[in-house]
Amino acid sequence: MKMSDKFNITRRRFIFGSALTFAGLASGFIFSEKALAELIITNDGDNKIMSFAPSIWVEITKENEVIVTIARSEIGQGVRTSFAMILADELDADWDLVSVRNAEGDSKYGNQSTGGSTSIRTFWQPLRLAGAQAKKMLITAASLIWGISESNCYAEKSFVYEKNGNRKLSYAELIDKALTLPVPPTDSVTLKKVSDFRLIGKTKWNFDEPDIVTGKAKYGSDYRVEGVKFAVILRSPYIHGSLISYDDTEAKKVKGVLGVYQINEGLAVVAENSWAALEGRNALKASWKNNSNFNSEDIRNAFIDKIGVLPNLPAITSKFIEGVYEVPFLAHATMEPMSAFAHFKDGKCEVWTGTQNPQTARSDVANALGVFQTNVRVNVLLSGGGFGRRHDNDYVVIAAKISKLSGHPILFFYTKEDDIKNDNYRPASIHAFKVGITANGTPSGWIQKVISQGDVSPHRPNYDIPNITNLSDSKSYGIRTGPWRSVDYTQNVFVNESLMDELANLAGKDPYHFRFDLTKDGRLKNVLKLVAEKSNWGSELPNGWGRGIAAFVGYGAYIAHVVEVSVSQSGKLKIHKVYAVVDPGFAINPGNIKNQIMGAAIDALSTALNTEITIKNGEIQQSGFHNFRWLTMEDVPDFDIDIINTSETPSGMGEVGFPSVTPALCNAIFDATGIRIRKLPIAQTSLISGTEKKSQLSNNVEFDAFPIPFDAAFKVTIKLKRWNGQKLDISIVDILGKKLSDTSLEFDGTSYKGEFNFPTIAAGAYYVLFTDGIDSYSFPIMKK
Amino acid sequence: MILNINNKNYEIDVDPDIPLLWVLRDILGLTGTKFGCGIGVCRSCTVLIDGNAEQSCLIPVRLIGSKKIITIEGLSEDGSHPLQKAWVEIGVSQCGYCQAGQIMTAEGLLRKKPNPGIEDINEAMSSNICRCGTYNKIRDAIILASKG
Ligand code: FES
Ligand code: FES
Repeated sequence: MKMSDKFNITRRRFIFGSALTFAGLASGFIFSEKALAELIITNDGDNKIMSFAPSIWVEITKENEVIVTIARSEIGQGVRTSFAMILADELDADWDLVSVRNAEGDSKYGNQSTGGSTSIRTFWQPLRLAGAQAKKMLITAASLIWGISESNCYAEKSFVYEKNGNRKLSYAELIDKALTLPVPPTDSVTLKKVSDFRLIGKTKWNFDEPDIVTGKAKYGSDYRVEGVKFAVILRSPYIHGSLISYDDTEAKKVKGVLGVYQINEGLAVVAENSWAALEGRNALKASWKNNSNFNSEDIRNAFIDKIGVLPNLPAITSKFIEGVYEVPFLAHATMEPMSAFAHFKDGKCEVWTGTQNPQTARSDVANALGVFQTNVRVNVLLSGGGFGRRHDNDYVVIAAKISKLSGHPILFFYTKEDDIKNDNYRPASIHAFKVGITANGTPSGWIQKVISQGDVSPHRPNYDIPNITNLSDSKSYGIRTGPWRSVDYTQNVFVNESLMDELANLAGKDPYHFRFDLTKDGRLKNVLKLVAEKSNWGSELPNGWGRGIAAFVGYGAYIAHVVEVSVSQSGKLKIHKVYAVVDPGFAINPGNIKNQIMGAAIDALSTALNTEITIKNGEIQQSGFHNFRWLTMEDVPDFDIDIINTSETPSGMGEVGFPSVTPALCNAIFDATGIRIRKLPIAQTSLISGTEKKSQLSNNVEFDAFPIPFDAAFKVTIKLKRWNGQKLDISIVDILGKKLSDTSLEFDGTSYKGEFNFPTIAAGAYYVLFTDGIDSYSFPIMKK
Repeated sequence: MILNINNKNYEIDVDPDIPLLWVLRDILGLTGTKFGCGIGVCRSCTVLIDGNAEQSCLIPVRLIGSKKIITIEGLSEDGSHPLQKAWVEIGVSQCGYCQAGQIMTAEGLLRKKPNPGIEDINEAMSSNICRCGTYNKIRDAIILASKG
């Protein structure tokens, strides 16, 4: 076992006496400088044979411990547990004797990028083969020791047994013999049949749970060595800002501050502890130039300008809808703000961090420091959430630079505010569309044009829709964007599955049957059918309640969601229940899959309801969970999650649970209120139910419109408390704010009354706008 | 200054305004208590102070005096506390980063109300954020632990 690995191994339980010392781990993760030096030396000089490692994926120790190498990063998706299960099952290892170690960033492990839900799909076969290969060697070793044929030996729970005898040898006892054997090629080993799995397919909870609940689990921000110093940076408040000048006199007076350094990214403050670093940063005076003064509105207007004229739907179209969906920028907002430990010493750099790509972290650090990659070692710790954020190793590079400049081992960290204001955001997009149906209520065509800042390409809907035209364009404001859980499925599936609902509604068909009848894909039909059954689709709901359905195909899996909501007359939304049916192909760890589906749904509900990143005068306006809001316990719905296995090939589960939740929620809101959400977050749209003939909307206004939804015409009556009886100017606008009409209404002694006629506009949400001179009012109306 | 943490006295020499969080994490190496926001919004940093769940990022150490501090490490080292056992039994954590704060907040509740109802739990936990969305499991685990 390499010295460096001793700090990196997580055991299910401590099984050792004094055979090996893990003093570093036991005493709060404090290492000596000497240990640090040894970490950098790859050959630790352990002379005694400690273990047997037939491949880079598994090591069996003299203590009969099995150590599985995890070459993808744990970000809460359960990869450490699932990888260990896969290898341990083929090896027939005793689960209680299994440990895991994270691979350092090194190309010998293949692609280590944790993203796109590819980990299981990539490693399923290699890890099984590695387990089977090691087992084969142990069985051969036992057969040679006993002088019997291999077919008379079998493995179980980290022992090899003699079939019709009572001899047994532990894996540890077989190590010396196994080490003398050639490693069989992986294509010569036999894998288990599904029916022989002992671990795979049965729930194993998070490998790290025992360490998490006792505070022992180590995340990037928890790494400590003797002499470590803490650092933060002061950045430009502007997205495109540059430093004009700074004065660090006061900062350097703060007790514990050791130095201030200028780097490309900003001004780094190094201190004895995090607090001193933060206080030092507060005392730093800097002035910045704003090089690009723009607002969210500018981006939106630029997007809208690029829509142009969409092509016409085919002549078979009898009814159509056109409009625009809007999806905002989102921050990743991981629970643990970005952080990294780096120690640059004698031309070499040692890094410990939570990253989704230790290989690019390694090359990024090497480039930043001007050293060869071989002089950089990136060790992977747990990540307090990833969601795509940690593909960008900006924080790792900053840590390395500060260590080089200051000469200290550095634990660099972002605050939550730094994190949210300096993220690689989920791209923002608008989706202009025209979709139609034929006279018999089947889709006639589907035209969509996506305009985005960052990569968003329109996706085809997962249904048999004829005449699809997908167009895209982009407009850059230089806002950094990057992968965000489920990547551009988050925008596209929201739009596509909402549009399916709009089409069903236009055709006067049930949204579930409409979808079901428009696909021949059996797996998609299955998840739709089961989720409809589970949710009692079609059964009566109380007044003000609604159900929405949506499905998603991706990452090798299928999933369908039904969301159940109620919306009170005053517009208060309550999400009662989420039903999910997922077909992962083959479920490796069912309990973890359910956790992922639940977590992704809460992620989707939170972002759909409340969160967006907005820009004012070139600055990101959000700074923490107080203004980038997440659901908390009292608001989360109940869950009913089913898994159906349909093959022997597993799929990725970290992202599949997200995309169809947002449209299912919005479709449920439509079902409950008749209000179509075409702009996220939902909080941007009034959910005041337009179906009530009269709504008491605030102390100063009574607004009454009917019928809602309307076919061609509707009437309004408005009573204002604070108005002097002059004419009232009122506008009808679409969801983009584009005016459809401007009118003045006469006061009749008690109220203003008007009648509006819009026989030709597309179905969807519109707003009535007016002002009483103090407040502006906006009330939604719906066209059928 | 002397702080009583997990039933041990620690003598520390610090700026009296430093929040407890950083003393735990940076000076004493008790990194189980997590930094989420530093401004009292997320509750990742929750510890017990004289039995009450409090945000350690907001409390300057000078205000602590002789009060007893319990961190996640002090709940039980071997995971034998009912909340820890419940968490492990039903598999609550995803990334796990918020969970020390969740568990300590739950412990604060259970010390006041050993048999909380759903509403009590929702109320006590309503300010703890879990970015991974483990709320339903957290609630189940608290109920399980309270049934003991
Ligand atoms: S870190 Fe203390 S409340 Fe967030
Ligand atoms: S488990 Fe990740 S934040 Fe709660």
